[in-house]
Amino acid sequence: MPASADLDPDAYEPGSREDFDRLYRTAYPRVYRTLAAILSDPEAAEDCVQDAFVQAFQAWKRWRPDAPAEAWVHRIAVNRAISYRRSAKLRQVGEVLRRLGRPAQPPDPADVATHGDLLSALRSLPPKLSAAIVLRHYHGYNNREIAAALGVSERTVGTRLRQAGERLRAVLEPAFSLEAGPAFPSDNRELYAED
Amino acid sequence: MPKTDDDFLGPVFERGLRQELNRIRPRNSSPRYLAPAHQHLRTWRFAPVALAVSLVSILALSASVATGSPNPVVWTQRVVTVIESNPAPTPEPGPVQPKTAPRAGSTQGPQHQAPATSKPPERSETPEPARTAEPSESPEPSDHQSGSRESADSSHTWSPPVDDRTWTSDSGPSPRY
Repeated sequence: MPASADLDPDAYEPGSREDFDRLYRTAYPRVYRTLAAILSDPEAAEDCVQDAFVQAFQAWKRWRPDAPAEAWVHRIAVNRAISYRRSAKLRQVGEVLRRLGRPAQPPDPADVATHGDLLSALRSLPPKLSAAIVLRHYHGYNNREIAAALGVSERTVGTRLRQAGERLRAVLEPAFSLEAGPAFPSDNRELYAED
Repeated sequence: MPKTDDDFLGPVFERGLRQELNRIRPRNSSPRYLAPAHQHLRTWRFAPVALAVSLVSILALSASVATGSPNPVVWTQRVVTVIESNPAPTPEPGPVQPKTAPRAGSTQGPQHQAPATSKPPERSETPEPARTAEPSESPEPSDHQSGSRESADSSHTWSPPVDDRTWTSDSGPSPRY
């Protein structure tokens, strides 16, 4: 799924209603899937994506095509998802306190791995890390596009990808090592971090 | 640095991730940005201001209706006039002077309170209703008004203000006595 071809910044004119509709049609499913990998609740993911498009629509006239439009929407949506997860965590803490001393244990990452649920493993990561992984390995963004989508430097993108990869590797390696031998070639890690 | 499919997590991971994410079908919900909901939000931004304005206008309207004047100054003065409204019930010409005169009269004539009753004749038409309202003004009272406490007290204990008023209101130094 090549991203760069679809994300030509010249393809959209800021403030154009038709162009925004087109952006919505092409980017909505992709952004939704990114958030589905971050949030476990599909309704919350949909809410966040819709809110992100509303926010983007309001700022559409001010959008500058120095970055891909979809990456820009991704940035808004991922920030929304991060806010949502933060508030959800606070709600969980409140519920734990209400249960008075019997906090529910979070799902064991090993259990997640044995079920082969990649999404669950992704969702167990901090949203910034899982977003970087999805943008790279699902949407095919390069580091520059990921940096634009997450609003960070390319060096930070490399760090996040490395951290996310290490965590996923620890969780998923047993399951994936059955399929293909070196699913996580460690020799590429240094190269990756240099991005 | 260009990304490669097999870097870090490898192709197996990517394949699995794509399969999982492609399985997800976003609902065909209508774009929220097309709905005028976000425009409502803009209008709701002014809701507190509108609420405050409406409250103030309601208060102003009720105040002007209560005071009968659209002038806000009157609304505030209204409180003051209410406080002063107690002495107002004796707006008769007499009560005004009394305050200065009373002391003079009080030294001499406290004993004669009955005379005051003789004055009324001059104003017999108007004062009568007032007397019924203020039993203390009529010194005769001891007999009349069925010996109410006030009249008794005024006659025996001599309450200066009331008596003085009657004296001064008569404006005549010598009662008919």
